[in-house]
Amino acid sequence: MFDSVSITALNSALDGLSLRQRVIANNVANLQTPGFQAGKVSFESALADAVASGSGAVTPTVAQSLEPTRTDGNNVNLDEETLSNVDTNLRYQLATEAVDNKFTTFAAAMKSSM
Amino acid sequence: MTTFGAIGIASTGMTVDQKWLDAISDNIANLSTVKPTSEAAYQAKYVEASSMTGADGEGTGTQVTGIALGSAAGKLVYEPTNPLADKDGYVRYPDIDMASQMTQLIMAQRGYQANAAVVDRAKDAYTAALQIGRTA
Repeated sequence: MFDSVSITALNSALDGLSLRQRVIANNVANLQTPGFQAGKVSFESALADAVASGSGAVTPTVAQSLEPTRTDGNNVNLDEETLSNVDTNLRYQLATEAVDNKFTTFAAAMKSSM
Repeated sequence: MTTFGAIGIASTGMTVDQKWLDAISDNIANLSTVKPTSEAAYQAKYVEASSMTGADGEGTGTQVTGIALGSAAGKLVYEPTNPLADKDGYVRYPDIDMASQMTQLIMAQRGYQANAAVVDRAKDAYTAALQIGRTA
């Protein structure tokens, strides 16, 4: 019950989102570092496939951003990072809410059986 | 990566930006530091930073790798009334461009603010994670 597809999928989503948050933090920290290439985390489409095939477990991957580079060889785009950071944060809170609801359901089920 | 990774990474960015601000304020404060021509001019300080990567290949932020110094020759200015002037009336001023320093000041300040915003958002997410199971 506790390792159902939905719990595993939510766990994968939280893993992916928290990695994305760290990668964004790293991109912003290196906003002015010459030659630094921004990282981009992807896991959503892999997660959708995994859920469809009944597993729900995925490992998020980090790829290099294909944004055009500035003259100093850096390609961090602060607008995009900020937007993605806010988006990631809200998604993360949504996922924690979903996990919490799942556990609340389990708790209710256990109480009613007593 | 540590549990609260994003906050630690953003703090490395804040440290670099802080050092950058320190260097800029030092440069601006010494903008009119006069030296006799027999000595080297005040040399502008430029912070050099590089990205850091953890053992697992994941980025762990940024760090200051060194301080580059500006021109020691500076610029010679004809100021015969200056007590430090040589026999031809010249003194040595640092070769620092005020406009460039002010531009960098804004870049460092905005960088610091961007990192502070990341800390704020990471804190929200971690707070949400700590709430899992509270209502169950």
